[in-house]
Amino acid sequence: MARSATVSQRTKIKRTAPRGFLRRVFKRYKPHLRLEARGDLLVHLSCLLFIRRLAEESRTNAYENKCSIINKDHVVDAAKVILKKSRG
Amino acid sequence: MADSPSPDSEPTTRTLLRRVLDTADVRSPRRRRSARNAIQRSVFETTSSRSLGSQTKTSVRRRSHGARSIGRLAHVQASAYLEKDTPRTLLKNILLTAPESSIMMPNPVVKLVPLSQVVQSYRRESSQGSLELQLPELDPPTTLGPGLPTSSRKKQRLRLSVFQQEVNQGLPLSQELPVNADSSSFTRSLNLTFTTPLQPQSVRRPGLARRPPTRRAVDVGALLQDLQDNSVASAPPVSRTDYATTSSPISELQPPLPEVTEAAGSEEAVRVKELEGSSEDEDTSGEPASPELATSTPELLQAKQSHEFLELPPPPGVGVLPSEPLEPVPARLPSRPRAAGPRPYRDPYRTGLSHYVKLFSFHAKMPMEKKAVEMVERCLDKYFQNLCNDLEVFAAHAGRKTVKPEDLELLLRRQGLVTDEVSMHVLVEQHLPMEYRQLLIPCAFSGNSVFPAH
Repeated sequence: MARSATVSQRTKIKRTAPRGFLRRVFKRYKPHLRLEARGDLLVHLSCLLFIRRLAEESRTNAYENKCSIINKDHVVDAAKVILKKSRG
Repeated sequence: MADSPSPDSEPTTRTLLRRVLDTADVRSPRRRRSARNAIQRSVFETTSSRSLGSQTKTSVRRRSHGARSIGRLAHVQASAYLEKDTPRTLLKNILLTAPESSIMMPNPVVKLVPLSQVVQSYRRESSQGSLELQLPELDPPTTLGPGLPTSSRKKQRLRLSVFQQEVNQGLPLSQELPVNADSSSFTRSLNLTFTTPLQPQSVRRPGLARRPPTRRAVDVGALLQDLQDNSVASAPPVSRTDYATTSSPISELQPPLPEVTEAAGSEEAVRVKELEGSSEDEDTSGEPASPELATSTPELLQAKQSHEFLELPPPPGVGVLPSEPLEPVPARLPSRPRAAGPRPYRDPYRTGLSHYVKLFSFHAKMPMEKKAVEMVERCLDKYFQNLCNDLEVFAAHAGRKTVKPEDLELLLRRQGLVTDEVSMHVLVEQHLPMEYRQLLIPCAFSGNSVFPAH
């Protein structure tokens, strides 16, 4: 956890999972299913990994276009790739 | 302590001095230094005559403390009283004027009880003049307690002085005041300090007097007059936008503040408490002040409004206060609609997603456009939908209606994150904090038990 361990920026990274929010989202999409106790932690883990990959990809896109700001287009292209990857 | 006249178990400075006064024979007046030595010698004699062995340490400590305090006070009083008087009168003056500064709870001194009644009746007046005079008395008790932790912040001191007011007025003390053990004994000893007469002006340490009291009294007078006169709200946002940096915390704190104040009884306490809230806003801008304020507002409700206003910690700009209370204070009483009327459903959803969006911006390490942020939210939403669909399929494949961690593991495996080399436990260890790790990874404990049980 090299990068996240050193929060040199002023933003505070909360490491707690929004467990209630995850349960509610799951219920909203699949009300007939039940989620187990530890399942939502793993859902949080998968979201973290997804976000990480998405951020890396969009950063790469921005570098390639030689922009110093991440644009919407970079994110869109990155999302296409990563969503396809994490389709399961 | 068989032969101690007073029934207390541990001798304090005050009782020591009292014993000296009772037993010591009158000596001829001497010079200042030798008078002090005489006092110390007499104290030493009495203590040594009484105490042997185990008690010497405590008496030594107290003797030194007594000597220190005697020395300090004698230095002050010596010039005035030495011409006529003996150490006896010196000690009497010391007893009269010395603040009760020991942590232990001594028995209330008999001599000061009649004074206490006088002072309490004096305090019960709510007039301006009494307020001004009470101020210098309030300062030494707050500064002279050894029980008070030296790193106590201004808010703690505010609450303690508020507590003192309650004690004086006989209000119920069971209000939610976070008084810890140190300060409770401190305030109990402070009960006695209130009974000290108005003399301690000379005893008060000038270095610790932080606020000029006279200026505050004027503000209170103007404030009270304005409170009583004005009932119409002038434009508060005008004054608040002047302090642009704290506008957002103020606006956040406004909804809880009016709700809390509606529970209160008095209007004026409400106004001043909200003033407190806003001025404390100024102090704590940028900090997470809302939990502090939430705990401090119930205490503030109980106290006298003028006292709490006077006991404010010196804000960054004292000039802020005179201008501020006049305008926004009467304005906050009529409740204003703050949130938008119709609340969209997606709001809690977006606020929940914002947690992950912040993580995105953290990992990206580059500034992002607003549109990019919204795009990330939409991607996350899409990801959630895909996730739920997949989990449903996996659970149905296993003939279950509950999604279990094995389904999640299968999902990660299909995503390519979990391979034969990289197991899921590795990912859990890398990305989750320890509390979740303990829940997810089965660990063997002593007694042949595994937690969590598989």
